[in-house]
Amino acid sequence: MRAASLVGKAGLRLSNSGDLLHVVTNDNISSGRQGFGRAIIWGSALLMLSVGLSQLVQVIGWGAFGFQNWRPTLYAYVLWAVCLCWGQVLLHGEHGKRTLFVLPAALFVISLTVFPLLFGLVIAFSDWNLSSPTGRQFNGLNNVRQMWADPFFWNAMGNMVWYVLAIIVEYAVAFGLALALNADIRARKFFRVAFLLPLMLSPVAVSWMIGKSMLEARFGPLARLGRALGWDDPSFFGSPWIAKATIMLMDAWTFIPFMMIMILAGLQAIPKELHEAAKVDGANGWRAFWEVTFPMMLPVSITAILIRIIFKLKLADIVIAVTSGGPGGATDTVTSFIFREYRDRSNVGYGTLLAMVYLVVIVIAMTLLMKLADRMTRPRT
Amino acid sequence: MKVDLYEAISRAKLNRRTMLRGTAALGAVVAMPKVMGFGPAMAQDSVRAQILAIPGVGAGSPTDADWQKVGELCLEATKANVAAGEFAGVELTFLGLNNQNLHNLLFRGFLKPWEAYTGAKINWIDLAQADYNPRLQQAIATGTVDFDIIEMGAPFEGDTAGKGLLDEMPDWVKTQIDMDDYVNYLKAPVGTWGGKTYRVTIDGDCHTFSYRKDYFGEGAIGGAEVPKTWQQINAVSKDLVGKTDPLTGLPAFGYLDPLKGWGGFGFYFLENRAAAYAKHPGDPAWLFDADTMKPRVNNPAWVQAIQDVMDLIATPGAYPADQINADPGTTAFSQFLAGTGSMLTWWGDVGSSARTSDSSVVGDVVGFGINPGSDKVYNSMSGAWEETYNESPNMAYLGWGVYVTNRVSGDETKRKAAWSAAAHLGGRDISLWTAAYPSGFQPYRNSHFQFEEWEAAGYDRAFVEDYLGSNADSYNHPNAAIEPRIPGIFQYYSVAEDELAKGYAGTYKSAQETADAIAAAWEKITDQIGRESQIALYKASLGM
Repeated sequence: MRAASLVGKAGLRLSNSGDLLHVVTNDNISSGRQGFGRAIIWGSALLMLSVGLSQLVQVIGWGAFGFQNWRPTLYAYVLWAVCLCWGQVLLHGEHGKRTLFVLPAALFVISLTVFPLLFGLVIAFSDWNLSSPTGRQFNGLNNVRQMWADPFFWNAMGNMVWYVLAIIVEYAVAFGLALALNADIRARKFFRVAFLLPLMLSPVAVSWMIGKSMLEARFGPLARLGRALGWDDPSFFGSPWIAKATIMLMDAWTFIPFMMIMILAGLQAIPKELHEAAKVDGANGWRAFWEVTFPMMLPVSITAILIRIIFKLKLADIVIAVTSGGPGGATDTVTSFIFREYRDRSNVGYGTLLAMVYLVVIVIAMTLLMKLADRMTRPRT
Repeated sequence: MKVDLYEAISRAKLNRRTMLRGTAALGAVVAMPKVMGFGPAMAQDSVRAQILAIPGVGAGSPTDADWQKVGELCLEATKANVAAGEFAGVELTFLGLNNQNLHNLLFRGFLKPWEAYTGAKINWIDLAQADYNPRLQQAIATGTVDFDIIEMGAPFEGDTAGKGLLDEMPDWVKTQIDMDDYVNYLKAPVGTWGGKTYRVTIDGDCHTFSYRKDYFGEGAIGGAEVPKTWQQINAVSKDLVGKTDPLTGLPAFGYLDPLKGWGGFGFYFLENRAAAYAKHPGDPAWLFDADTMKPRVNNPAWVQAIQDVMDLIATPGAYPADQINADPGTTAFSQFLAGTGSMLTWWGDVGSSARTSDSSVVGDVVGFGINPGSDKVYNSMSGAWEETYNESPNMAYLGWGVYVTNRVSGDETKRKAAWSAAAHLGGRDISLWTAAYPSGFQPYRNSHFQFEEWEAAGYDRAFVEDYLGSNADSYNHPNAAIEPRIPGIFQYYSVAEDELAKGYAGTYKSAQETADAIAAAWEKITDQIGRESQIALYKASLGM
């Protein structure tokens, strides 16, 4: 008691009850302080709601309050956020201070993701062509119907299936390269860096260097090589399937190193003892790979493939730069189609809906894939 | 003038003799006495001769100091309408481009003496070409127009003037910039909306026909005559299959159609073919029916143009390999200039690059003319073909102009300042300089085609006459196909490119089916933007 009172005299009140492990100070929060805390939180919330609602009423056209833009609501939101943080300290003392380590960041994240997503949804269900004199108009499910009947969108979705399937081949190549680089070969470090180089290049640079220059049908060195090898009319983007395959190859060339480096890291993490034990048990190279290395690598492989799928679903830069989706839509991707719809045609409403639908498709597909992967990598019992 | 054209003329043709001749002529012009009542005209001419000597043909690219000198020398017209220091305290914001370090950068130099004289201050918003349209459209759509003066292409007049965002040009400006001097196609209705004038023109644009002289002539592989119609062009293109290019020794090809889109700009090239069939001299409309906005793109004329392209696609060897992936950039710079193919339609850059570009091999064998015509023309009114020769050069893009926004409309001093700045940039004399030196702009006034002025300044007359002559003939053609300045015009072009790509790749069964798909997509865009307003704006843009 004496020590406590001494400390108390010095200005620091140590807590002697409750969660003594985490709480240091003894907050004697007065009811007045609590009341003030609640008042500023609820008061600012009320203010935010009323400003937001009155702006909404003005937008709908039920009343006029003289708002020029949405900034008043933004300012009311910021005020509320500040009051909410301050209120935590007023209400909960030290606990509240601890909350302050997370709350502002959480509010910031919500402001930058959830709100734009909500606004995006509003735009997605709107008829909004930037050239239209009437501006944005809510149009219900019309954009969804348009999408349903849009051959360009479904063609691009179909192409995406092929592009994603190509990852299986990419994975096999990446695994092979990783095994090679994991083995005791000469100049291993050099090859590791050399194989990584394509990943460091911008896809736009790849498009121009390879797609537009090396693969140029008349003067490109690869076309010349093709002619020298007896291919009469070398054309790398001329027919739908060749064009699709060339785009796949260019994309693979850029991103195989990414999968390779992940698999290589996984290979290096496998304890040597396992291989030695397998050897002692008489497993030959192929058997050791199939029974030891590959199963051990499954978690890394699945992660690499899933991340690669996410990358692949965003494929657009190479396509936009090299083929613009042609010939006849054979190389179009959903993202490059959205780009044309949004940028070239200023069709903001429909473009946003397509992006939203694609987001949902990706989220569902990735969730299913992750579940599946989880089941596959679960230890066999 | 485009940078490369300038370099072409100065590098290829300037020698000491022409330089001396030019200098002597200039000296003679300046030294001539005031006789025969030519005094005032001489003073004017002397300004023109003086600015044409800054920095001098072949003396390297002009610098900011040169732009300021030119701006200073051309200030007389401003002084006649504005008192010194009249706009003290006025601040204006100017939105424009910074392509090739020209446009706004030139304007800064030109307007510096103007700022010093009037007391106004200009703040600059510089944009890259690719950012221009999104920036403009977003400013319009979100009601955040934050500029008083804008450098803008005529196709955007629908998006701006059509929405009442521009300020009407005062009469004193029309006099100051001598609008009667504009070439025919840039006169009203271009630059006007609903009978009001908004644009100070600073540039002109059109497509012209480039061909290889070594393909045509007595005993040449393409025939004795240069093709004049699209029918002949297709026939020659098919006939050339299997022959050898006289310059490169590689396979010979005829006309180069870009079969891949180019962000909407690729559609201009189908227009080149279609205009000859579809632009009837008695009807200003050719893309839509003016009364209903019903697309004409699937009428027999347009279908014929698409069919012509499909015929060449179906003829093995008529196009170079991989033509399905050739956009207009490819046809001009990777093919025509590199010696592949013998005929092309394009903007002015090709003519000039033919001589300057390192990759060009056709500099000595390239000739120019207006876009080809047709043996027949479709009359949309009667719904029947007429078997008469028709030609209709495509005024693709219509060039840049300077416009004043309605932000200044409420403040008379600010408004006068904005218009005075715009008029200074679009003045008669200053425009001769921009036509003659690297500026990003092409000639657009009748007075720009006085070739003796160019010759006196040291330019090679033969080249200037051949190359610029094809522009002049197109500009002043009575049946020129004028770009419809309606909102979202590039949306129509962009979607048409997508459908054409499918048609060319064989996804659609016929030219008609392809054209119908384009028409259906256009109808959708029209409905989305608003049919009634589009009809009104289309009519306004055609001056109907």
